[in-house]
Amino acid sequence: MRTQISQHTFRRLLALPQPLRLRTFSILNRPPPNYPGHVPLTLVERGALALGSAFGSLRNPHRHDLIAALGEATAKPYFISRLRKAMLANPTGRRILHDKPRITSQTMSLEKLRQLPENTVGRAYAAWLDREGVTPDTRDQVRYIDDPEEAYAMQRYRETHDFTHAITGLPVIIEGELAVKAFEFANTLLPMTALSLVAVVRLKAAERKRFFETYLLWAVGNGLKAEEVVNVYWEEELETDIEVLRARLGIEIPPDLRETRKLLRDKEKAERAARDAKDRLGAVMGV
Amino acid sequence: MASTALFRRVLALPPHLRRSVYSSTATHTGASQPDIYDVVCIGGGPVGLSFVSALRSHPSTSALRVALIDSQDLSTARTTKDTETYSNRCSSITPASLRFLKQIGAWEHAKRGRTQPYHAMDVWDGVSGSKIHFDSVDQQQTGLLDAVAEMIPGSRFQASRRKYQVEDVGVATMCENANTTSALLQRLHDLDEERLNERRVFDMLEKTRVESIDLGPESKDEKSLDLSQWPIVTTSHGKIAARLLVGADGANSPVRQFADIPSPGWDYNQHGVVATLHVDRHHTVQDLRTAYQRFLPTGPVALLPLPGNKASLVWSTTPQHAAKLKTLSPPDFTAAVNAAFRLMPVDISYMLSPTSTTTPTDELAWRETATPAASTGLPRNFPRIASVQEGSIASFPLRMRHADTYTGHRIALIGDAAHTIHPLAGQGLNLGLADAESLAKRIAYGVDHGMDVGSCWTLDGYNSDRWAKNNAVIGVVDKLSKVYGVGSGPVVWGRSAGVEVLERLGTLKGWMMGAAAGVK
Repeated sequence: MRTQISQHTFRRLLALPQPLRLRTFSILNRPPPNYPGHVPLTLVERGALALGSAFGSLRNPHRHDLIAALGEATAKPYFISRLRKAMLANPTGRRILHDKPRITSQTMSLEKLRQLPENTVGRAYAAWLDREGVTPDTRDQVRYIDDPEEAYAMQRYRETHDFTHAITGLPVIIEGELAVKAFEFANTLLPMTALSLVAVVRLKAAERKRFFETYLLWAVGNGLKAEEVVNVYWEEELETDIEVLRARLGIEIPPDLRETRKLLRDKEKAERAARDAKDRLGAVMGV
Repeated sequence: MASTALFRRVLALPPHLRRSVYSSTATHTGASQPDIYDVVCIGGGPVGLSFVSALRSHPSTSALRVALIDSQDLSTARTTKDTETYSNRCSSITPASLRFLKQIGAWEHAKRGRTQPYHAMDVWDGVSGSKIHFDSVDQQQTGLLDAVAEMIPGSRFQASRRKYQVEDVGVATMCENANTTSALLQRLHDLDEERLNERRVFDMLEKTRVESIDLGPESKDEKSLDLSQWPIVTTSHGKIAARLLVGADGANSPVRQFADIPSPGWDYNQHGVVATLHVDRHHTVQDLRTAYQRFLPTGPVALLPLPGNKASLVWSTTPQHAAKLKTLSPPDFTAAVNAAFRLMPVDISYMLSPTSTTTPTDELAWRETATPAASTGLPRNFPRIASVQEGSIASFPLRMRHADTYTGHRIALIGDAAHTIHPLAGQGLNLGLADAESLAKRIAYGVDHGMDVGSCWTLDGYNSDRWAKNNAVIGVVDKLSKVYGVGSGPVVWGRSAGVEVLERLGTLKGWMMGAAAGVK
């Protein structure tokens, strides 16, 4: 009897509180979903998802579904809760969580946005989408975050990522994406944004130099200084003047990346053409 | 020759008559001579009244000449007859205090229908949700050593196993302050009635303002009375000299100021909001009741049970939130209190901020759907607050003070005059009652051993009895309030881990409950 008592006491003592337990449920007995599309994961499953999606998206940065999964797997326990509480503390963020608006090709009519005056947020957004050749297609649904409100906060972050591109003018090429991710890390503190910066290894030497010299400093400085971009009610800001919005949020635009690259490419082409011409001339002259 | 014979006859008299011979000669020397009392207690609150009742009930001290001075009309300190309204000034009386009140014969005069014993306590962290459940029913020891102890009834071993058991009362009893006060007054009145044929030794000087307290004048010559080391209380009705002056006169004690005893401490930047609430469930006398407390970063909020469907609220929060709460309409106040127990701290702060645009009722209706009860640690049986009693919402600033010493020459401090504490542990009145009990015991000891009750021979024992214990309780409560005042970070993780471990250690929990109950 004494060993029974001590085993029972021992087990009770070791029963860890929920945040520290390895497994809160068995995979043979998954709890029901909290919202449509929800997939509850154990800690081991979440860890494996994080590792797999991290390496997969490093190998192929165009796999946006892996980047999304990495974001969801690394957002708990603290970061997405912090983001949702930051939204709740802000009056506009609170309204967003209450109304739960979604940004899709249906809700954001591009024809109407293109009709807006020149300097408005909506026009800039439409112009950026046309310039980059993307659409506000339905982003991946959030599946691996347990609380429905936190899942919506993650979804909202994902859907407003394009607005962040539009307001900063950065393109969808890897260099631009990394600059936006650095800005988002300083602004939202989501771990996925910081982990994505590992993709710097995939940049060419000149691009990496440009990134570390200009864009990283811009991103971190502006991200920390600016208001939280996730608290902007974009649907209501479509007709606001873009400079006014930038001033209100505290964002300065970086040097236009596409312009910089085009200038460099043109310069290189001109130099190569000049070299070729000299070589050809030399061949003819026998020098 | 005649003087020695007279002297010997005076010595042969019982003490109270001996003293009356002495004091009668004193009063004959002139109207300006102050009235001399053995013990003068300034302050007619529960602590002062219980101290005087203890003196009057104890056979050794029942013949001392005692005066109680209070500026208010004590005869009107009665509870209302209305069973539907409860005063918002309620206190939680621990088993040790209850034992003291029973011992002095006051508890039987309290209106028992208006008191509520409770048997369990649910305390949880507002940020992390980790919780601890104290249950006096669970504390019935069932281990191996207790089984052995039960086999030897009446032994010292069995008595030692019972050390941390909370007595039949459970965790504590909720009682309105007016109820306690009127019970004590009734007891004092009954004690006076018993002594109707004997000389009157107890004077209750109500509606008497204390104008000043000074030391007596230098004596004119060697033979006349020397009151230069005695405190003389100048009241609106005359002067009173006290062999021992006891200050039970509250946080801004004039007695303490007269004695020049410093009382260091600090103000918590918090106000305590109290109210009487109606909950959705009606409880009978047999039901086991639970007290609830949630620690928010702005301060703890507690719901303490009262008979029927009533409950008492004590919510310590920032002065801005307290001001906003007092301006809310009753339905909004009810929603805010429900929110305080159910929503996340960020939602509660938004609800009470001056810039919020929605009413608390609407805000609660929305946020409750988005805040699952499991994530905030809400206990399963937590009731819903249905309404608030009209006119029962009030607030007071919270502070911590502890007098450097409780005694001086012919001075003693008890109750709030000696210490002020944060209300989160419900210990304020209980520490005061324990002070009263200890001082009364020390005075009885002094009288039994022929000491001057105002001298350090009697009073040092009271100081050494109570000062260190009170300091420990005040210190622990203060650190708890500081630890739970943190909203995020490693402190939250540390305190949650500590609470989770403590929840699983039955013996340590039982010891803590015993310490809080004041079991000796």
